[in-house]
Amino acid sequence: MDAISLENVTKSYDGVTAVNGVSLRVRQGAILGLLGPNGAGKTSTIRMVMNILAPDEGSIHVFGEPISDKIREAIGYLPEERGLYPRMQVRAVIVFLASLRGMPEAEARRRADEWLERFELKDWADKEVRDLSKGMQQKVQFIAAVLHEPRLVILDEPFSGLDPVNATTVKDVMLEMRDRGTTVVLSTHRMEQVERMCDSICLIDKGRNVLDGELRAIKQSYGKNTVQIEFTGSDAFLSHPAVASVNRLGSGAEVKLNPGGNPQEILKAALQSGAQITRFELLEPSLNEIFIEKTGHA
Amino acid sequence: MHKIWLIVKREYINGVKRKAFVVMTLLVPLLGIISVVLVAFVSKHGSNQSLRLAIVDNAGSSAASIVQNLSAVMANGAHQFTISETLDRPADSKGIEQQLRASINIGKLDAYLVIPSDLSHPFELHMKNTGNFAAMAPVTAAVNQASIEARLRARGINVDNVSEIVRAADLQVIKVSESGESVERGQTFGIAIGLVLLLYMSLLMYGILTMRSVLEEKTTRTMEVLVSSVQPIQLLAGKILGVAGVAFTQFLIWIASLALLLTYGAFMAAIFGGGSFPAIHIPASLLVWVICYFVGGYFLYSSMFAAIGSACSNEQDAGQLQWLAMGPLVFAMSFYWLVMIDSTSTPSLVLSEIPFLAPVLMPLRISIQTPPVWQIALSMFLLLVTVFGAVWASAKVYRIGVLMYGKRPTVPEMVRWLRYS
Repeated sequence: MDAISLENVTKSYDGVTAVNGVSLRVRQGAILGLLGPNGAGKTSTIRMVMNILAPDEGSIHVFGEPISDKIREAIGYLPEERGLYPRMQVRAVIVFLASLRGMPEAEARRRADEWLERFELKDWADKEVRDLSKGMQQKVQFIAAVLHEPRLVILDEPFSGLDPVNATTVKDVMLEMRDRGTTVVLSTHRMEQVERMCDSICLIDKGRNVLDGELRAIKQSYGKNTVQIEFTGSDAFLSHPAVASVNRLGSGAEVKLNPGGNPQEILKAALQSGAQITRFELLEPSLNEIFIEKTGHA
Repeated sequence: MHKIWLIVKREYINGVKRKAFVVMTLLVPLLGIISVVLVAFVSKHGSNQSLRLAIVDNAGSSAASIVQNLSAVMANGAHQFTISETLDRPADSKGIEQQLRASINIGKLDAYLVIPSDLSHPFELHMKNTGNFAAMAPVTAAVNQASIEARLRARGINVDNVSEIVRAADLQVIKVSESGESVERGQTFGIAIGLVLLLYMSLLMYGILTMRSVLEEKTTRTMEVLVSSVQPIQLLAGKILGVAGVAFTQFLIWIASLALLLTYGAFMAAIFGGGSFPAIHIPASLLVWVICYFVGGYFLYSSMFAAIGSACSNEQDAGQLQWLAMGPLVFAMSFYWLVMIDSTSTPSLVLSEIPFLAPVLMPLRISIQTPPVWQIALSMFLLLVTVFGAVWASAKVYRIGVLMYGKRPTVPEMVRWLRYS
């Protein structure tokens, strides 16, 4: 049974198709990276999974059941458009949101204190939300999304506004949850995070699912077609016919090869042109490159 | 149901904790107490200054009568007027008046009255403070009587006490109703005006409160987290009921303090000096109808205001759109006089049956003269049907609107939202 399964889901607003026949399966206990340029249909897809929007066509199942208010309580959701009641106390707002998701208030209060402690917000529990810094509010929002121990967590840009220390805490919590069997959907623009954390990805562009699967398998399917070269001297070799595209870096370049292009040819050409090579490495394409190739833009 | 209750509870607790709520709830009774004390105080200590008046009598026949008529005594025992001098047919009338004006300007005199040589010409009252109506009324009466006396005398009728003869007859207005008769002293009018204002103000105030509360969830971006846990209709219902609870609490405090004021008002007035406190009797049936129409009107208007709040992303946009809901209320207010003059007329009947106006105009009609039962029943029925329609439409607009940010939707766009599944 999949944590989420979308079958041919379509949604349009006033004639504009936001999601166009997307099918997707999210394995239980995995971290899925949901990627896509702005306006690709990620938020609409998530909102349909959360039963905030109804799909025009297709079906959505969460843990094998059609989406309903009951199954929704098993999901933790951190939307991109998020905020808290500014005049409520921190603990009260967490307890309120958890109780809306079906958790008894006493239990929610106890857990809120545990989580606030973990995120070093214990002293702020009785303060009003508006007294907190933006980063602190982000942490409170994260707590509110995961407090009720959901089996599925959907996080839309969870790291935005967090400093490196807190971002690490959030990342650790996500990995812990995954290890306990929780399914995590992470929607973000930050490729390096997806690359480090996600087991699988789904790339959405213009309302369509253009690529999905296990991250490792996807990368392998692209083969080692990228060469990272650090050099000084002439760069004439970069126009070698085996080179498909060049991404200039400070101390060298990242070179993508044409299909069938031999990296050895490039190295030979570089040496012949008199460049001093300090590094020459064959790489799998970065997620960023795959993203750009699939969507045609960054 | 449990989720609605959670929302009601949060809305209520945060509503009554708001500074604006606490201030308003306490300020209104406080102003009431202050005004009672002030009225009592002023009526005792206010105008204890005797008005110094000189009389220039160019006719030479009426001064005595006027002096006699101005002998009214104030609450503190002093005369309201002190006649500083009476000048009988002065040779140099203009010169005298100039001197009197000078006296007024240096503060030795407050006013002077000029009696014309021909009593068919106007009398003149010269004074600095022409806003002193309390002084003008007795002078008008005295002058009136003196001139009547003079005219009677000219026809050979001699009378000692004109005031006794020309005293206006009393017309006592008695209100007839099913529950019997009661002497009308303007209380019907007072209650009617009070009712209209109360209903109008509270429907508007709590409607806007609901709108603000919805808007706050949008501007603070709390909305999406909420609608991911509860259905928009639950959120809307919880919000309207929660604000209703806040309104109810405020009313309860106000009514309790009004009851205290009416009970102890006379007592307080007595402490701060004399002055009777009017006893106002409001029929229980009227109270019941007022509550029914208020509840109906509240659900009608607050659901409209909530829908407007949900469609907008900021206060400015909401300020423009809120006229959609305020319009009918203002319309009702601009026609209340029509109902007041004749509550049984056809226009009154038609206006009070329109569901958007009924919450204000029907209680007004009932307070003036209870209309036939079928008219109340029909307006209540129409109101209820409209309330259901409005709540339904608002829920539709609400569930789309809460997720819309950016440009304010136009009214046709909002109408289109009604058709979305």
